[in-house]
Amino acid sequence: MSASTPTPAAWTACLSVFERELTPQQFATWIRPLAVEPGEGSLRLRAPNRFVLQWVKDRFGTRIATLAREAAGAPLAIEYALAEPAGATAASIDAPASPFPPPIDDERAPEAPEAAPREPARPAAFLPRRIEPTSLNGTFTFASFVTGKANQLARAAGLQVAEHPTSYNPLFVYGGVGLGKTHLIQAIGHDILKREPSAKIRYIHAETYVSDVVRAYQHKAFDEFKRYYRSLDLLLIDDIQFFGGKSRTQEEFFYLFNTLIEGHKQVVITCDTYPKEIAGIEERLISRFGWGLTVALEPPELEMRVAILLAKAQQSRVRLDEQVAFFVAKHIRSNVRELEGALKRIVAYANFHAQEITLTVAKEALRDLLAVQNRQISVENIQKTVADYYKIRPSEMHSKKRSRAIARPRQVAMALAKELTQLSLPEIGSNFGGRDHTTVLHACRQIAKLRETLPDLNHDVNFLLQVLRS
Amino acid sequence: MEQLVFDLVAPEPQAFRTFVAGRNTEAVAALERAATGALPETGIVVWGTPGVGKSHLLAAVADAARRAGRTVLACASPADLTSTAPDAGALLTVDDIDTADAAAQARLFTLYNALRESGGTLVVAASAPPARVPVRDDVRTRLAWGLVYEILPLADDEKPAALAAYARSRGFSLSDDVIVYLLAHGRRDMRTLVATLAALDRRSLARKRPVTVPLLREWLQRSIDDPAQP
Repeated sequence: MSASTPTPAAWTACLSVFERELTPQQFATWIRPLAVEPGEGSLRLRAPNRFVLQWVKDRFGTRIATLAREAAGAPLAIEYALAEPAGATAASIDAPASPFPPPIDDERAPEAPEAAPREPARPAAFLPRRIEPTSLNGTFTFASFVTGKANQLARAAGLQVAEHPTSYNPLFVYGGVGLGKTHLIQAIGHDILKREPSAKIRYIHAETYVSDVVRAYQHKAFDEFKRYYRSLDLLLIDDIQFFGGKSRTQEEFFYLFNTLIEGHKQVVITCDTYPKEIAGIEERLISRFGWGLTVALEPPELEMRVAILLAKAQQSRVRLDEQVAFFVAKHIRSNVRELEGALKRIVAYANFHAQEITLTVAKEALRDLLAVQNRQISVENIQKTVADYYKIRPSEMHSKKRSRAIARPRQVAMALAKELTQLSLPEIGSNFGGRDHTTVLHACRQIAKLRETLPDLNHDVNFLLQVLRS
Repeated sequence: MEQLVFDLVAPEPQAFRTFVAGRNTEAVAALERAATGALPETGIVVWGTPGVGKSHLLAAVADAARRAGRTVLACASPADLTSTAPDAGALLTVDDIDTADAAAQARLFTLYNALRESGGTLVVAASAPPARVPVRDDVRTRLAWGLVYEILPLADDEKPAALAAYARSRGFSLSDDVIVYLLAHGRRDMRTLVATLAALDRRSLARKRPVTVPLLREWLQRSIDDPAQP
């Protein structure tokens, strides 16, 4: 926010409320970057980029309007616009509006980055020959990324980074398996490569990076190793959780990360969980992972699963009825890969038996798969899994205790029981220490509401859903 | 005195033509296409109870792929997986995927991705469908990404034909009453049935007696008395 702009009282009121209501990270990402201009009966908010603009409008628009009206005592029109670029000619890469502090805290600061060699990207000798320079898969583009509520934020963040590298550095994408992490970050690579064909881009799976470190050790090729990775313009590193417990790899990556970030080179990381939950990773790396933007990929909701199936069918030139897509999407819920697998199975079955894809054919083709998917998830299993996750005793699920440490997991378990079993609400209630069905209903609503506002709780529920379904 | 048998009978080739498909015709057709590269799919999982013929199918796929001129890597167990990158378009078969330890799972993950990139094929056998195979999530969901077939055991009424065909391939004939007796008194999974016939054949050669119900009864009795004998 520009210091010279007098901040209208209405906005000051909004700020103090948001600071209380949101996590520091949410506040720093969405609210603090907004600049404000007073107007006649209006509040003009300027966002640093389209991504923030859209997100604030969608997620906080109503709240901002309410707060501003309360503070001003009269309705205020809220206008949203993009901020003018700092310099009229400033290219985004020259003037990164990086929201992160400069990494200066470590005594063992890395040497200045070597001058990037200008020769085209080429795998260094320590790399296995099969690896292509970028290792990008041609099919993983933004165009083929099906979007829905579960991934729109992550996609928008990815597009923002692709269009304006280093606007969030690093971009940290987390989510369960088969939700499109690899697809999304490779799409960023493709997009940047399209704009900047000479950019040195490398996609690498964390396990491959670990082997590269080992190989560099064996061949005494650390200089070459460092030179190669530090000369990259964009590093896409997948499944960083595999660094857990590998201290030498973490140390190498720490220096690489610092060098790239200082050199205004984009780093994109994926992980199966959010930074502070990764096991066996040094604190200094974890804190760095949070410097930029952390976004989640959530399991796709029903409509999105249907859209994915229809898109995949179209790609394979298969006619798929919406009714069939809904049937499959209703039964296969855990991740996109299993959804695709189910569709392939139906197509193979229909081709083999020379039949049209109808609901009957789909049911027949997926008979064994559905038998597995629909195997009874019992309330006891849900209670035990949730209790283990929150480190409480399973018996607390039936207890009368109402302290939050116990009541919240119990509500989560009730909500999961409603989602994952066909039991009636009274039946669920009786499984939780003879509670009333209205208590179950209240728990379900409460959890649904809290998932909107508490990212940690939302993560917990998504994680538990995937565990219970697999 | 027993005639010593020179075991010159070639081991039964595990090919598609010696597999009695039963209710698995779709799976067999898919595997035949996968072997020659006609099926545009990276991963195929065959799963089922022990003795349904998963290993046979894996061997058949490998055999057909070799005939089609493809590079084939056949792993009888996940422990045999190496980290060497496969040739472009290679076919990799891995049996007993359920037993993969952490190192094997990591290799499988990398190999799967490499095969997917290069248009290769991975065929694995498991005792359960991917959702219940005890491997890490990123491997498990990749297995579920492709085609998954449950291999169903032959129905009892399909077994006589399969056993008669097996006997013919070893050069002896099997009368109906022997088959009926065998199915009524022995374990009825195909692995045991075929092993019994092979042993019976050796015994008939050693004793210079045809394969009949009395010979079978005698052999079954002997194998109960002394389970260690072949």
